[in-house]
Amino acid sequence: MSDTTQAFFEGLAKRGYEPLLHSVTGTIRWDIEDAGNWYVIVDKGSVTVSRDTAGADCVAACNREDFERMAVGKQNPVTLFMQGKMKFAGNPGLAQMFQRLFPDESLSGAKQG
Amino acid sequence: MGEKTTVSVLEGNNFVVSDLRGDIDASPTEALGLFAWDTRFLSRWLLTVDGLRPNVLSTDDLDYFSVRFFLVPGTGTIYVDADQSIIRKREIGNGFHEDLTILNHKDKAVDLKVRIEAAADFADLFEVKDKLTKKGEFYHRIESDGLVLGYRREKFVHETLITASAKADIDEHGLSFAVHIEPHGQWTTSLDVVIRLGWFAGNPQETKNMQWDQRATSNVKRSLEKLSKEVPRLSCEWPSLQVTYTRSLVDLAALRFYPLTLSGQAIPAAGLPWFMTIFGRDSMITSYQALPFASELAIASLEALAQRQGTRIDDFRDEEPGKIMHEVRFGEMTAFEERPHSPYYGACDVTPFFLILLDEVERWTGNAELVRQLELEARAALTWIDKYGDRNGDGYVEYSRRNKETGLENQCWKDSWNSILFADGTNSRLPRATCEIQGYVYDAKRRCARLARTFWNDPALAERLEKEAAELKRRFNQDYWLEDREFFALAIDGDGRKVDSLTSNIGHLLWSGIVDEDKAEAVVRHLMGPRLYSGWGVRTMAEGEGGYNPIGYHVGTVWPHDNSFIAMGLRRYGYREEAARVAMHMLEAATYFRGRLPEAFAGYRRDLTEFPVEYPTACSPQAWASGAPLLLLRAILGLEPIGENLLVDPAIPIELGQLELLDIPGRWGRIDAFGRGRVDTSATGDRMQPGTV
Repeated sequence: MSDTTQAFFEGLAKRGYEPLLHSVTGTIRWDIEDAGNWYVIVDKGSVTVSRDTAGADCVAACNREDFERMAVGKQNPVTLFMQGKMKFAGNPGLAQMFQRLFPDESLSGAKQG
Repeated sequence: MGEKTTVSVLEGNNFVVSDLRGDIDASPTEALGLFAWDTRFLSRWLLTVDGLRPNVLSTDDLDYFSVRFFLVPGTGTIYVDADQSIIRKREIGNGFHEDLTILNHKDKAVDLKVRIEAAADFADLFEVKDKLTKKGEFYHRIESDGLVLGYRREKFVHETLITASAKADIDEHGLSFAVHIEPHGQWTTSLDVVIRLGWFAGNPQETKNMQWDQRATSNVKRSLEKLSKEVPRLSCEWPSLQVTYTRSLVDLAALRFYPLTLSGQAIPAAGLPWFMTIFGRDSMITSYQALPFASELAIASLEALAQRQGTRIDDFRDEEPGKIMHEVRFGEMTAFEERPHSPYYGACDVTPFFLILLDEVERWTGNAELVRQLELEARAALTWIDKYGDRNGDGYVEYSRRNKETGLENQCWKDSWNSILFADGTNSRLPRATCEIQGYVYDAKRRCARLARTFWNDPALAERLEKEAAELKRRFNQDYWLEDREFFALAIDGDGRKVDSLTSNIGHLLWSGIVDEDKAEAVVRHLMGPRLYSGWGVRTMAEGEGGYNPIGYHVGTVWPHDNSFIAMGLRRYGYREEAARVAMHMLEAATYFRGRLPEAFAGYRRDLTEFPVEYPTACSPQAWASGAPLLLLRAILGLEPIGENLLVDPAIPIELGQLELLDIPGRWGRIDAFGRGRVDTSATGDRMQPGTV
């Protein structure tokens, strides 16, 4: 169950460098209900993941089910936020950029109009 | 123009629309209320004194962020001399602040029952337009210091908090005050209406750490003052131009929208009040028009749009990797994916325009850092053009919506469903490759070649882009040219047919430079000829076309922003007199609107109506109409950055006399531009030689 969350962050850590975040520097902390805290540290596109870094520029909080849906590309992060199911504190620009880390392809065709 | 019946105050996407008394009594037909984040946080706000609604003496809304209402108590009958005066002073903030003062003019004390009725329907702007019903539940709460009106749908929570400084009896429908006023005395209470968004962590109702939650009035005031100090100073012997110039700057200041994701930088929103949000097209076009005056708008627009650049294929949002967004909304229907605006990507022209603007910003400001910072996004946009923009691999960029239900059928600037018509009036078929988009792509590729060579250290890319642009121009001049009618087709449609209406789009082709020199003269002849040219400007569609309608939104009306681009296009090809004529006529039109050009006006011939007939649109001011006079000024002064210098090459209408624009900011520091009016704009298009004035 929590494997999806863990796999997502491990996958991030493995990327090492993420070109989509080349202009981003900052730390975002994810507070995921029932799955704990995860820190994603971005330094001009270099991504590291930690579970016990102090201090974050941005905190995002949601429950595990919603996070896992985002982690597999089944939930749009912006509308999750707008529905009040994901809360933010701190630098919203960082949160905006972070959504580029969620999977690309799986939303394709999910909402055929 | 009809009698004004509403008054607005606004800041960013937060605005109050009330009647002339200051009351809000929203109904399906009257879109009154306190709006923020595309949501109505107050739908009822009624003042009564002794059970009667006051009568209005006057309303003073000299600036955008505050308004004063001067009232007298209602008598229920005909007007009699009043014993009291009521003054409501309202300022926009995070919600609004209202000082309510009652003056007693009598020499004896008076006791009054003052009441404010309040209600909130938390309607999404889309619901206000479409009259839809709510899916969540309403609640209210009386707290020690005020009344809370709330709405909840799952975890989506919005609240409105109403407090008063004077002692009030609070019930779920409002606040009551028992007021005693001494002879010739006065009573005052301040009322605060605060919006609470359930979006943020910690106390979900607190928005204090966010930058928009400052007291907005001082903000707006300060930034208006700052703006007026930093923009170039204009002086002109034709006084109306000064009025229009000032109006444009003030309106653009009011139209600034502060995206949460940029730290305090503003971008132009599209229009007041209903389009106070990020629009890819409107934000960038306005930024482009304003570049010589306030380049920070363009920088912020590029950054905000880069942050939201598409990264995935999403049919619902018409999103594709590298695509620049069209429109973002924040209301309930967007949140619950009943509308696709989170953001919606249904615009085809904005991705090449993003690249054009990026290059143009560098040319004006020398901001190489921005060009390097956005290299990845620019490359993604270039990839989008070839991979997704060109859907059928024919070398042209065409659009067709992925979202068939709520997506836009036309994804060019003429985005009404019936804008791309054949000369016989029939509709074309999707996907549509409108001509101006090909021009933008041509220009974008040429400009990016420069950026690749100068800043991205990629001469191979530069070479490829130049080759592609040259090939596109060559093919375009063959494939879109209507030999018999001597102009470019509006589009090539899904059946491969040339959409053969004569339209203003050909003016954008001049602006982008895609027109072969030997075809320019014919294009200009059409633009300035009686079928397209109304006397006030170039119509969106020519008189005589099957779809032409002088009051059809995109099929016959005259749009100021369209004309400002056409004027620049005329200059680009050396048609200085024609550019001056378009500019002068548009500036003359502005005088009929006290300097504020509307989004569009009717395409009637000038000699028929003698004044420009405003097209009834929902928004005024509209950003790209406010930006039009700025771009027209650039056109008649002939302002072009050349390397580290600003080239000034004026071709000014005679009527303007001496025209000076002082302290134009840019990579050169500040430069003055001036010239004397020498172009006779009353001439009728007989002389069609470029280059001589």
